[in-house]
Amino acid sequence: MEILKEVTRSLLSNKVRTFLSMLGIVIGVTAVIMVMSLGAGMKESVTKRLTSLGSNIILVMPGIVGGSGGKIAQALESLQEEDVKDIESMCPSVKKAIGLITGNFLIQHRDKNTRASVYAAPSGIFQILNLKISSGRSFSEDEEEKNVAIIGQEIAYNLFEDENPLGKKIYIVQGGRKLIFEIIGVFAKTGNILMLNPDNLILIPYNTGKYKLFQSHKNVSMILASSFSPEAAESAVMEIDHLLYNKFHQQENYYRIISQEAILNVVSESVSIMNLVLLSIAAVSLVVGGIGIMNIMLVSVVERTREIGIKMAIGASRTRIMIEFLVESIMITFLAGAIGILLGILGSNTIVSAFGKAYGLKPVINPLSLLVAFGVSASVGLFFGLYPAYRASKLSPIEALRYE
Amino acid sequence: MKEIVRLENVWKIYDMGEVKIEALRGITLEIREGEYVIIVGPSGSGKSTLLHILGLLDKPTKGLVLMEGQDTSKMKDKKLAHLRNRKIGFVFQSYNLLPRLSALENVELPMIYAGVPPRKRRKRALELLELVGLGNRIHHRPNQLSGGQQQRVAVARALANDPVFILADEPTGNLDTKSGEELLKLFRKLHEMGKTLVVVTHNLEIVSEGTRVIRIKDGMIESVERRGA
Ligand SMILES: Nc1ncnc2c1ncn2[C@@H]1O[C@H](COP(=O)(O)OP(=O)(O)O)[C@@H](O)[C@H]1O
Ligand SMILES: [Mg+2]
Repeated sequence: MEILKEVTRSLLSNKVRTFLSMLGIVIGVTAVIMVMSLGAGMKESVTKRLTSLGSNIILVMPGIVGGSGGKIAQALESLQEEDVKDIESMCPSVKKAIGLITGNFLIQHRDKNTRASVYAAPSGIFQILNLKISSGRSFSEDEEEKNVAIIGQEIAYNLFEDENPLGKKIYIVQGGRKLIFEIIGVFAKTGNILMLNPDNLILIPYNTGKYKLFQSHKNVSMILASSFSPEAAESAVMEIDHLLYNKFHQQENYYRIISQEAILNVVSESVSIMNLVLLSIAAVSLVVGGIGIMNIMLVSVVERTREIGIKMAIGASRTRIMIEFLVESIMITFLAGAIGILLGILGSNTIVSAFGKAYGLKPVINPLSLLVAFGVSASVGLFFGLYPAYRASKLSPIEALRYE
Repeated sequence: MKEIVRLENVWKIYDMGEVKIEALRGITLEIREGEYVIIVGPSGSGKSTLLHILGLLDKPTKGLVLMEGQDTSKMKDKKLAHLRNRKIGFVFQSYNLLPRLSALENVELPMIYAGVPPRKRRKRALELLELVGLGNRIHHRPNQLSGGQQQRVAVARALANDPVFILADEPTGNLDTKSGEELLKLFRKLHEMGKTLVVVTHNLEIVSEGTRVIRIKDGMIESVERRGA
């Protein structure tokens, strides 16, 4: 329309000032976009990591006693196989539960050795955890007593380097004894997730571990369970807690329950809080920017007093004058918003490529946030442009024409 | 001839706190279609004030202003702006063109306010610039034009929406003799075309062209001289 043309012309006629007046909004919008995209990216990457082993996971660990008054902190041997069964059968929100026996052992192959966490778990572990195997296979139910092992990437490298470990034999050294295992699979590289590092893990069948390696009776080192859905996670935790609380005669420090869902909630909450803090800083900058715009527009009204008088004299209504000024301030902020969005996208990508690669961080640009940024900057223009535009429209044509 | 505008006992008093300045003191006059009215008077006598009131740019402190028979005192800004836009063409001593716009765009502006479609208003603006003898300067900005040329652009702009009358406040005040003469000829041409003109001027040649000369002194009409037309 004509107004847009007219306004563009007046903006272009004073480029430096137009640009300076935009700065506050540009910075504000840049900050908003960066915060939103990095926040969302962070949440996404953390969530992705936390859920890469599967979802709805609940971990039950024995409690820790001691650690104060000179006593050595020690994990209780409180959890039993029976508890695993009870959790699975008596907690309606729990889909599956398994017991794990864990220990740290010296591992040998020929002249090489290394240390690794050995987990003895029933084949049901593959239904709870999404443990990816890069080569070979997992073990099945009818191998529960076989001496087979799946090893992590790190162990494979330490013992075999570039050799193919499949089918090779390793020794797990237990006191004076050595137990021989055949490697049937290698885990895909994952990194540390949920207190578990598959890269430095040796997984063996539960019964093999229980009878031959750990020679334990009924104790399990931890219980791994899954709920039917993310929504059921909270009730599953409560049911398990209720069950164990009664079992352990109301000694709640005998066990710890960690749910993936709770961790995810903490992550998303902290991202939200961080977003909120940074967004309020951005809001301040938008307000300051808005006041800057108002200032510039007021100056511009004064400067263009005569022009306003001329326009009124040849038939521009007060409304028309008001709209011209409003469109001008909205255009400034809209443009500033666009520049801010560009800088924001550029900035978050720069930050990510400088620091975020290692964490798999990627900025997530939500189209809604772009819309919000545009909307917010246009509203800032409207709001802070209102008063100057009103002032312009209220000028008396005669006084305005007289103005030098 | 049809009455265009009529003032009835119009007073304009500027309240300056301590003193009140009576710029107009009971002016009654009417302008009829086809007239070429000249207003003369010493500086500070109230000529500009009178013209502003005739042009609906200002409101009287007392008295009535009737535009084509309608009382303007209760009109809203929108209506007044509409009348200024369609019925009145203003020419100022200091041209008052918009500096960022070309001659053509300056002439188009009143038509933009009137909602004339782009093609039509461009055509009309070109015709008007041709009429005032600036057909070859249409893309010049005001600062690229001489005073006389700028004033002719201002006249073309005043004619844009084919107003019922044209008000000019000392239009030759800033012009050299030659440019003044050209403007005089232009006004004569407009008058011959049937336009109604109200011109405040000290230029004796223009005065001699008018069909009526109104002398103002101290905010009052001192004398009216009608010439055969
Ligand atoms: N806005 C104003 N405030 C106060 N006094 C004014 C104002 N405008 C005009 N006047 C006074 O009104 C009188 C008439 O002014 P004006 O109409 O401009 O005279 P002219 O155009 O005949 O020279 C002068 O005394 C002038 O000082
Ligand atoms: Mg004057």
